[in-house]
Amino acid sequence: MKYIAIFSVLAVVGVFVNLVHESKMLSYLSSDPTACINCHTMITHFATWQHSSHRNRATCVDCHLPRDSFVNKMLAKSRDGYNHSVAMTFKTYGNNLRISNDAAKRIQDNCISCHREVVSQMLANSALYQKVADSTVQMGRRCWECHRGLPHGTMRNITATQNNFTVKVL
Amino acid sequence: MKKPTIVFILCVLALVPMVLLTISIRENKAEQQAINAVPAISDSETRSSEWGKYYPRQYDTYMQTRKSDKIEDVLKEDPALIVLWAGYGFSKDYNKPRGHYYALEDNINTLRTGAPVDAATGPMPTACWTCKSPDVGRLTKRDGELEFFTGKWAKYGDEVANSIGCGDCHDGTTMKLNVNRDFLKRALDAEGSLKAADATHQDMRTLVCAQCHAEYYFKKTEWEDKGEKKVAQVVTFPWANGMSAENIEAYYDDINFVDWTHQLSKAPMLKAQHPGYETFVTGVHSRNNLSCADCHMPYVREGAVKYSNHKIGSPLDDIANTCLNCHSGTEKEFKAVVARKLERKNELSLLASDILAKAHLEAAKAWELGATEEEMKPALQDIRHGQWRWDYAVASHGGFFHAPEETLRVLGGAINKGQDARLKLRIILAKHNAADYVAPDFSTKEKAQAVIGLPFEKLVEEKKSFLNSLRQEWIKQSEAKGVYDPESRKDMVLKTSYN
Repeated sequence: MKYIAIFSVLAVVGVFVNLVHESKMLSYLSSDPTACINCHTMITHFATWQHSSHRNRATCVDCHLPRDSFVNKMLAKSRDGYNHSVAMTFKTYGNNLRISNDAAKRIQDNCISCHREVVSQMLANSALYQKVADSTVQMGRRCWECHRGLPHGTMRNITATQNNFTVKVL
Repeated sequence: MKKPTIVFILCVLALVPMVLLTISIRENKAEQQAINAVPAISDSETRSSEWGKYYPRQYDTYMQTRKSDKIEDVLKEDPALIVLWAGYGFSKDYNKPRGHYYALEDNINTLRTGAPVDAATGPMPTACWTCKSPDVGRLTKRDGELEFFTGKWAKYGDEVANSIGCGDCHDGTTMKLNVNRDFLKRALDAEGSLKAADATHQDMRTLVCAQCHAEYYFKKTEWEDKGEKKVAQVVTFPWANGMSAENIEAYYDDINFVDWTHQLSKAPMLKAQHPGYETFVTGVHSRNNLSCADCHMPYVREGAVKYSNHKIGSPLDDIANTCLNCHSGTEKEFKAVVARKLERKNELSLLASDILAKAHLEAAKAWELGATEEEMKPALQDIRHGQWRWDYAVASHGGFFHAPEETLRVLGGAINKGQDARLKLRIILAKHNAADYVAPDFSTKEKAQAVIGLPFEKLVEEKKSFLNSLRQEWIKQSEAKGVYDPESRKDMVLKTSYN
């Protein structure tokens, strides 16, 4: 029995190492956008971003993860990673992915952090005069309610890039 | 329970979900790979419809080039050209280019390619297929470049079956832009300012076009095929001295190259093909690092997909997505600016062709009156240079826009050379008591054909019998060989200047 136990421990280690390899687990520690297209669900988002004005300036994580502290960034990454893995494994996602309030807040914060110069007056105005319509984000309105095409275009259904082949990294 | 048993049970409990997860990940990865795969298309696949199965948007827009189907007879517009090209194919038939979809069809239908009756009859060499079809790349690989350039045009009539298409610009396995005509690489290396190996993706978006939209001549090259001596007529770009009209003129003069001896004036003539690339690089758009594709293949958005429009044609058809990407202004203003550029070019071009045609006719008169070769030589050399420059300036069709300053400068040179020739000829005519000689009228296509004695009706008869016999054989044979998709010629009607 002792040998069977040793063998089964080795098997667990082996399967785990293989799992790390198969799932490209370590790639998720990087901030490389191609890690996001390990799964096909992000192809549309990657392809549209790749053809957008943001491609040379901001990668996926620059907008989608909080940038205020390393701890927050890693916590958000782990939380998203867990949710995405569950959705991917049990196929609980639909063709139209919608952003969560939590993620919307992070993105809005990041928009403002880069474009602070441009929106400083709007920030001041919203604090002084505007009635806050959407309490989940700064300023009370999401930037992309007006800037609708940025950066993923207005069509971002995950079947919208069939026959596109643009996931070849430029 | 004993300790090892507990360890064993724990391990099994951990293993089961991990193995299931691994299986799930592998399934997802296979799905991802299938979705992301770049379809591998065989290197020898020349049927654009096969590529179109994987690239429907590019293919659909490419097929739209069939809408550019109007025949515009240049010889009718300016009958002086019939005189300029007397004794050469272009005096028989010359139309403005139609869409890429028709490139092969028009090459086969023009009176210039004549009426061969079998694989060995002329008048043109195989090289005349070079820019018409992706089959050329396939045949060059299969038979070797020298064999491809040996023999008569009709030799490959049943092999060259698809008009300019996907395989002319793309590598089938990677879909990257690809120059498959080696003569362009050799010319770039000889010229030196952009070595073929140094070309960036942006350069390639011009160079794939430059494979064909450039000046060339057929360089006679002797070679040995299994002990048998053969002469190939290899398409060669005369760029070794540079790409300007004067550089290329010097190149041809140095090797005493003559396209044909003029039927009337006996001048040793040059025919400019379509120096589109050579003139484009002098223009302001090229100097700002724009490529052909930037204006002729603007990006299109369709839902979440962005791709380049393969309906290659005039950017003026889509000013909003071409000019206006960089410039401000209205479509109307742009059309007016370009129209004015064309008017300026036409004004000088018509002047030059009229002067040069008269020079040819005056030279013919001088010969008739007994002028000697020695007397005539300087004037004939002026005619050669003058007509070369005029042709270089106008033959690319787009030069007036791509490089307006260069086009007008070269036309100025053409007019000057032409008038020089006429001055010299007038002295010769005066010596032979014909100082007041007036060249015959060539103001219509018919009059000009009569002036050079062109047997037009006969040429048309011969061509029609070729189109009804050997041409039909070619279509059947290429279909039998499987190199040709009958769908690609669906609803095609015969459109020429003579039917």
